[in-house]
Amino acid sequence: MNSFRIDFLRPLSILAFLLFLIQNLSAQKVVHYELVIKDSLVNFSGKTKHAIAVNGQIPMPTLTFTEGDTAEIVVHNQLKEGTTLHWHGLYVPNKEDGVPFLTQMPIEPNSTHVYRFPIIQSGTHWYHSHFGFQEQIGMYGSLILKKRANDPTFRKGIDDIPQIPVILSEWTDYNPDNVHRMLHNASDWFAIKKGTTQSYVEAIKAGHFKTKINNEWKRMLAMDVSDVYYDKFLINGQSESQLSQFKAGDQVRLRISNGGASSYFWLKYAGGKMTVVANDGNDVEPVEVDRLIIGVSETYDVIVSIPAENTAFEFLATPEDRTKSASIYIGTGIKQLANPMPKLKYFEGMKMMNSMMKINGDMNTMGMDMSLQQMDMNTVMYPEITGAKNSNSKKVDLQADAPLNQEMADMPQSDIVTLNYNMLKSPTKTTLPVDAPIRELRFQLTGNMNRYVWSMDNKVLSEVDKILIKKGEIVRITLYNNSMMRHPMHLHGHDFRLINSKGEYSPLKNVLDIMPMETDVIEFEANLDGDWFFHCHILYHMMAGMNRVFSYENQAPNPLLPDKKWAYNKLQKESNGLHFMAINDFATNGNDGMTMLQNTRWSFGTEWRLGYSDLHGYETETHIGRYIGRMQWFMPFVGFDWRYRKLGHNEIEKNLFGQKSTKDNRTQFSIGAAYTLPMLVILQTEVYHDGNIRVQIKRDDIPISKRLRASFMVNSDKEYMAGLSYILNKNIGVKTHYDSDMGMGVGLVLNY
Amino acid sequence: MKSISKVWIVLFSILSCTVSYAQIRNSKTETVKVYGNCDMCKATIEKAGNLKKIAKVDWNKDTKMATLTYNFKKTSQDEILKRIALSGYDSDKFLAPDEAYAKLASCCQYERKAKVEAKMDMPKKEMKMHEHRAKKESATETSELTAVFDSYYALKDALVSSDAAMAASKGGDLQKAIESVKIGKLAMDVHMVWMKVFKDLAADAKKIADSKDLSKQRSDFTNLSKNMYGLMKASPQETPTYFQHCPMANGGKGADWLSKEDAIKNPYFGSQMLSCGKTVETIKQ
Repeated sequence: MNSFRIDFLRPLSILAFLLFLIQNLSAQKVVHYELVIKDSLVNFSGKTKHAIAVNGQIPMPTLTFTEGDTAEIVVHNQLKEGTTLHWHGLYVPNKEDGVPFLTQMPIEPNSTHVYRFPIIQSGTHWYHSHFGFQEQIGMYGSLILKKRANDPTFRKGIDDIPQIPVILSEWTDYNPDNVHRMLHNASDWFAIKKGTTQSYVEAIKAGHFKTKINNEWKRMLAMDVSDVYYDKFLINGQSESQLSQFKAGDQVRLRISNGGASSYFWLKYAGGKMTVVANDGNDVEPVEVDRLIIGVSETYDVIVSIPAENTAFEFLATPEDRTKSASIYIGTGIKQLANPMPKLKYFEGMKMMNSMMKINGDMNTMGMDMSLQQMDMNTVMYPEITGAKNSNSKKVDLQADAPLNQEMADMPQSDIVTLNYNMLKSPTKTTLPVDAPIRELRFQLTGNMNRYVWSMDNKVLSEVDKILIKKGEIVRITLYNNSMMRHPMHLHGHDFRLINSKGEYSPLKNVLDIMPMETDVIEFEANLDGDWFFHCHILYHMMAGMNRVFSYENQAPNPLLPDKKWAYNKLQKESNGLHFMAINDFATNGNDGMTMLQNTRWSFGTEWRLGYSDLHGYETETHIGRYIGRMQWFMPFVGFDWRYRKLGHNEIEKNLFGQKSTKDNRTQFSIGAAYTLPMLVILQTEVYHDGNIRVQIKRDDIPISKRLRASFMVNSDKEYMAGLSYILNKNIGVKTHYDSDMGMGVGLVLNY
Repeated sequence: MKSISKVWIVLFSILSCTVSYAQIRNSKTETVKVYGNCDMCKATIEKAGNLKKIAKVDWNKDTKMATLTYNFKKTSQDEILKRIALSGYDSDKFLAPDEAYAKLASCCQYERKAKVEAKMDMPKKEMKMHEHRAKKESATETSELTAVFDSYYALKDALVSSDAAMAASKGGDLQKAIESVKIGKLAMDVHMVWMKVFKDLAADAKKIADSKDLSKQRSDFTNLSKNMYGLMKASPQETPTYFQHCPMANGGKGADWLSKEDAIKNPYFGSQMLSCGKTVETIKQ
C-alpha cells in the first residue's frame, strides 16, 4: 500500500519540491498578518477600564517571521482616533517605520494600512503603537525573527531549543493622558499610592530629618526610581501564569521584551542562574547572571533550565520601584518561589542624591567615570545588598540568635551577579568601515522633576531642527546623563555599537539605558535614507519632548508624507502640549483657587481669592510667564491684577515700603519674576503700573506626613496666610487655613 | 419623617458593617498541609497568611495542617499559601525561596519534605574551592614583606564585609607581622621606605586592632593604605597589585586601597557601595 501511494505521489512531490526550491531561492515567502485594532473594556485590577485590543487580545498577537521572509501586515484601524505601528529594532524602509508625522500620516479611523517590508535580520524584537499614549493601554506585542537553519551564526543549544516570547508590561487604571497631565503638575498622588511620599514625619521616623532638609534645600522633590503608580504588572498580559509543557532537565529560551511604557524590570529566576544569550535582537556571548534589569523597550534572550523533578520554578519580573511583581512558573508540579525583591530604602537614596547634586541642579560625578551600568548608585537603596531597612542593631541581634543561619542567608547575597553592559560581548566583530568619515555628536540628557520637563541639551523637540546626517558617514554619539532619572534612549531603524571593554566585539544594540551621571559612547553607520527618531523610550518622557530626529541629507520624498515640513511642525507641537490644572478651596471664609495652563516653557495662570461679602473682598491675579534655565527656577512674568474690597471710610493701606494703596476697586498691570529659593520657597517680586512694589514668599505642599501638607504665604502688603490640608484622594482634600484678609476658614479642596 | 428614616437606614448599615468587620464574608474553609516545627512557626505562618477581614489561618503544629478561612470572592488558597511560602514555609503547592527558609530561626528549620533536590547545584562549591586555592598560592610566596601584605589584604577584606570584630583581629595580625619584619633582610631601597613608614603602619594597625568602631577603623585604614602603597611600590610582589581609588570615601575627600583583584570591592563602604571606585594603577614587578 505504502509504496503504491508514494509512487503515485512522486511526480507531485517533485513538483512541490521544485516550487519550494524556487521560492527559497528568490526568498519571496510573504508572511501575512491581519491586525484589527479596536477599543475595548478590560479588567486587570478589579475595575473595568478602557483599553485597546488588537484581534481581541492584549498584548497584541506575537508576529513570527524568518529572516528572508517578506512581512505583510494589514492594519485595520477601528478606533475613533488615528494610530501607527512601529517595528521596534527592525531595519525597515523609512516609510514603514510607523512614527506619525515623521514617516507617515496617522492611519485614519476606519481605514486600512498595509505595512510591507523584507525581513533582513533575526532576533527578539517587539512592536507597538507610536501614536499618543496607545502603547500604555494595550498596543504592544512580541515580534520574533527566526534565523534560517543554514545561518552561519546558528548556535546549537541556543537557537534550537524551545523558545517562549515574553512581553512585560504594566497597567494603570488611570487614563494615560491624565497620568501625563498629573506628572506635569507635580501631583504627588502616585507617591502616596506607592507609599513613597518621603514626608518630614517619615524622615524623622527613619532618622533622616537632616537628609530631608538637605534635599529640600537643594530644591528637590521626593525622589523615586519611577514616576507612575501602576495597578498591575503583566507578563504576556497576566500577572501570574504557568508554562506547564516543560519538565526537569529542559532548557527554555525566554525571548523577553520590555513593552512597559515607563517601567524597568528586574528579572530573577528561582531555578538558579540565567544565561543571557542576546540583547536587543543581537546575539551576545552567553553570560551567566543571577539577575538583570531590563530597560524600557529593551529585549533580552535568556536561557533557564529546570533543575528538579515535579517542580515549577518562578521567573519573577519586579518593576524597579518594587511595588508589585509579575511571575511566570516554568515547569509542572509544586511551585518554587523566587525571593521577592525587598522594598527600597528611599531615604538612603535621597541621601545619595543629595551628595550627587550640586545646588545649581547639576549632577556631580566627583571625578568618577561612570558608564555602562557598572556602578548603580541606587545600590544604597537595595536591602538585599546593603542590609535590611535601618536595622544595623536588629541585624546583630538576629545574628546572636542564629549566627549560622543568618550568615548563610546573607552570604550569597553579597555575591549576586547583576548583568551590566560591560559584560555584553558580540560573538562577531562589529567594527565599522575604517575609511568612512566620522561625525561626532554630543548630547547631554537634561531634565527637571518639578515641572517634568525632559530634554536633551535643555532643548525639547519643539525647540530644535532635525539633525542632518550623510549617507556613508559614521555617526558617533557621546551621551552624558545630567538628570536624576535613568533614560532608555532608542534609535529607530539602526543598531548602534555600544563601546565597551570588548573593543572590536562591542555589542550591537538599539536601546541604551543610561543612568544618572553616566557617559556612554555609541556609533552607527549611516546607511539608510529618510528621517529616524532618536528618543527616550519612557513614554511620558518622549511625550514631554525628549526626542531628536536624524535626517538623511538629500533624501527621496516619502509618498506617505507629502508635506514633510508641515508634518515636522505637527510632531513638534504634539510633544509640547499645554497641560491644564485647576484647584479650588471651597472654604467657610471664601473661595481660594487657581488655574494654570503650562507647556515646557510658558505658564498662563490665574489665582483668585473670592470672599463671600464685600468686606472680605474679591481679588484675582493673572500671570503670563516664561521659565528660564534648565532647572526652571526663574520665571519672569507680566501680570494683571484686579481686586475689590470695601474698606472702612476712606481707609488706606500702606505696605512695608510705605507705599499706599486702596484695595477698593483696584486694577493694575504688573511685571515681575518668580524665583524658586532653596527649600522650594517661591520668591515673587512684582512692580505695578502705579509704581507700587510687592514682594512675596510662598510655599505650597510642604509634606508633613504621608497625606498632610502645609502651606504659607507672606508679602510686603502685610498679607499672610498659613494652611494645613489633608489629601483624601486624587482630586479631593480638606483644608483649614488662616488668611489675613478673610480670617479662619475650613473647606473642601477640589483639584484637577 | 422621610429624612429621619433615611438617617436610620444609614446608621443601620454602618452598624451592620461594623458587625461584619470581625467575620469573613463569602467565607470558604479548607484544610491544607503546611510544613513547620514549633509554636514559633505557628506564629509566623499565621501572621503571613492572615489578611484582615479576608483571610484567616489556623495552623496545628502536631498535624502540620492549616485551616484556611477566606473570602473566596476576594482571595484564593493559592494567594494565602504563596504568602506563607514567602515567609519561609513550604506547602504542597509552593516551595519557600531558599533565602526565606535560611532566615528562619534554627528551631523552625523544618525538614523540607516537599522540596525535590535539584540535580545540579554547583556554583557555591566552586567558589569555595577557589578561595582555598588562592590561600595556598599566597602561602608559598616568600618575600620578607609578604606576611605584611597578606595581613593587609585580610584586613581590607574584613572592612569590605563591614565586620568590625574581624577587622580588629586582622589589624592585630598586621601589627604583629609589621613588628616581626627583619629589617636586615630588606633590599636597600625597600629598607629606606620601610624606615619611613613602619612606625605609622604599626600605629595605624594598632588603632584598628583596638577599635570596634567601623568608621574609625576605616579612617585609620585610609592612612594605612597610603603608606602601604609606598611600600608596595618599592617592593612589588610576584602577582600584580591593584591600587584603587574611591572619590566618595573619607567624607568625600577620596581614599585609596590596594587589592589583589582588579574588580572593585570597596573597603570604605562595604556592601553599601561595593562597586564604587576604580583601579588607578597596577603595580607589577
